[in-house]
Amino acid sequence: MSLDLRQVLPQVESLGQEAARRAAAASIRLPRLAQLLLDAARLDRSELEHRLAAAPATAHPAWPTDEAIDASFPLPAHPPRLRLLAADGSQVYPDRHAAAFFYMVNIGSIDLLQGSGRPPQTATHSNLHFDDEDLRDTRGLPVDTHLINARRDAAELKELARLVEGPVLSEVEGPVLSEVEGPVLSEVEGPVLSEVEGPTLALLDNGLLLWAASQEQKAARPDVQRVLDEYLAALDVLRDSGAALAGYISRPRGANVVDLVEAAAAEAGGTPPRLTDRLLFGRHLQAHMRSARFRHPARINDEFAARGHEIQFFYLHTGAQDGIARVEIPHWVAADAARMAMVHAGIVEQCRLTGVPYPLVRAHELALVGQDDRRALDGLVQAALIRHGISGLASQKAQTKRWTGRRRRHQL
Amino acid sequence: MTPFPAAPESRLIGRVTRCSIQGFVGGIRMTEPDIPAFGALCRAPAQGGRSQVIGLIYEISIEDDDLARQLAASDVPQEEVRLDQQFVRPIPIEIRALSVGFHDGDGYLYDLPPQPPNTLADIFNLPPSEVRQFTASLAFLPLVLAAPQLPTDSLLAATFRLAAQARPESERRAFLVSAGRECARLLSGDLGRVNNLVRSLQGQHGS
Repeated sequence: MSLDLRQVLPQVESLGQEAARRAAAASIRLPRLAQLLLDAARLDRSELEHRLAAAPATAHPAWPTDEAIDASFPLPAHPPRLRLLAADGSQVYPDRHAAAFFYMVNIGSIDLLQGSGRPPQTATHSNLHFDDEDLRDTRGLPVDTHLINARRDAAELKELARLVEGPVLSEVEGPVLSEVEGPVLSEVEGPVLSEVEGPTLALLDNGLLLWAASQEQKAARPDVQRVLDEYLAALDVLRDSGAALAGYISRPRGANVVDLVEAAAAEAGGTPPRLTDRLLFGRHLQAHMRSARFRHPARINDEFAARGHEIQFFYLHTGAQDGIARVEIPHWVAADAARMAMVHAGIVEQCRLTGVPYPLVRAHELALVGQDDRRALDGLVQAALIRHGISGLASQKAQTKRWTGRRRRHQL
Repeated sequence: MTPFPAAPESRLIGRVTRCSIQGFVGGIRMTEPDIPAFGALCRAPAQGGRSQVIGLIYEISIEDDDLARQLAASDVPQEEVRLDQQFVRPIPIEIRALSVGFHDGDGYLYDLPPQPPNTLADIFNLPPSEVRQFTASLAFLPLVLAAPQLPTDSLLAATFRLAAQARPESERRAFLVSAGRECARLLSGDLGRVNNLVRSLQGQHGS
């Protein structure tokens, strides 16, 4: 092992001490912050907005919505049947030391009709990108990770749009699998489909703003804009389908609401330590309750809003080990009480099993490209290159890393 | 030497993780309907593909899985989640196979192979056509009967049942009778085992 644990050990000890010091300081600051939230809620709306507008540029305060900022909402009833869709993605970035220059986006998805007594349908879509248009941005530079991430995010949302437009698994036709003695493959792989309508909750394992577009907004690159257009078009499809859409963020580190209450108290920037919204709402929310909705302060949200998809968020106590999650929703979900109830109740129900929504766990598993997959893909690429008369060798540097990367233990 | 005959209906059922001349072990993730059966025949390449080791599956185990353990420990899982885990989500399985012969490119030899399969060699099930060819001779039985600490009688009964199913209906009874006679001959010093085995075979054919 090349990691010298003896060197790291004292640093790890310091890390532990620092974490304990921060936690102690946070526990002192937290009651004050909770009081500031209540105080901010009592401010006149115009006064609150005036103070938020005056917040320093380093703060990114959330913007209040029609709900009182200190409000909390109990768990609504779960519908007897709920169609749950989830998509997640992973990627293989281009490697100039590999035998060929390419990247790959892998999307996994699941379509689970809760209450149907049927197995879910799963899908994995793997796309290799290797032509010039994929590998060069509009500036002629090699594609960067921001753009690949943006394309992956758009592919995840487009997969959800594809699923909501597809047929719904029906519980009214065909044999229920659990009633079939000794189920056979055909019954498992080909569940009966029909157009039965039902409430649908579509989930992403991330925020809903296209983050790469946000970072590249100033550059206004046409390739990023094109991905953004695709992303917003997928949001159009989801909105028009009647489905509810939510982005689920586990262990959020954001502080937009903390920034809000500090700005409202003219304490923007706060006194150290900087606390997170998660800590604030961990104190404020009981199990299974959600906070008020807030408008996402990111600048890219203006463009989303202009296209009818303003992003809002709330915090939710899932009742699971990690407690507080951040849930992002488009405005058209926020404005629809039935869709909001579906998001709230659906996520809490799905967290009961696995701490985070079960469909997201499965979508992640279906999307994940592991080291073994990567090695197998490299092998296929090398074989294809050789078949077409091209050297399928990785760079010497890559080979030396392979020689030294996998250590062997020699037993005597 | 002719290449090993291609069998398009073969399914990948594992990749070798450890092996010896006497047998091999393979692992893979697969859905429940794809899991091979106890007593089924399989093959894995050896000697750089010049031979195929024929294995008889005598153990199938579902390996530990963190997500399944979490779900098992939770409150009553939703029915759809249970079905997902049982029929849709590939589960990590391990199969153990006893070497009962090999194919050297020209034909089957009913003896231990010259070399075991290599690590990560693909393990395929033997489709019905190959099962019929391999079990046309019962010369592999001594290797099974000599294997220590295996449920030999149950294993042979399962193997005969699957081999009979790979044959046309009209040939099944004759095959089972022939298998029973061969076992009786090989186990002539152990009448109790012979009786058990013959009863199993009679039960399979309903006569």
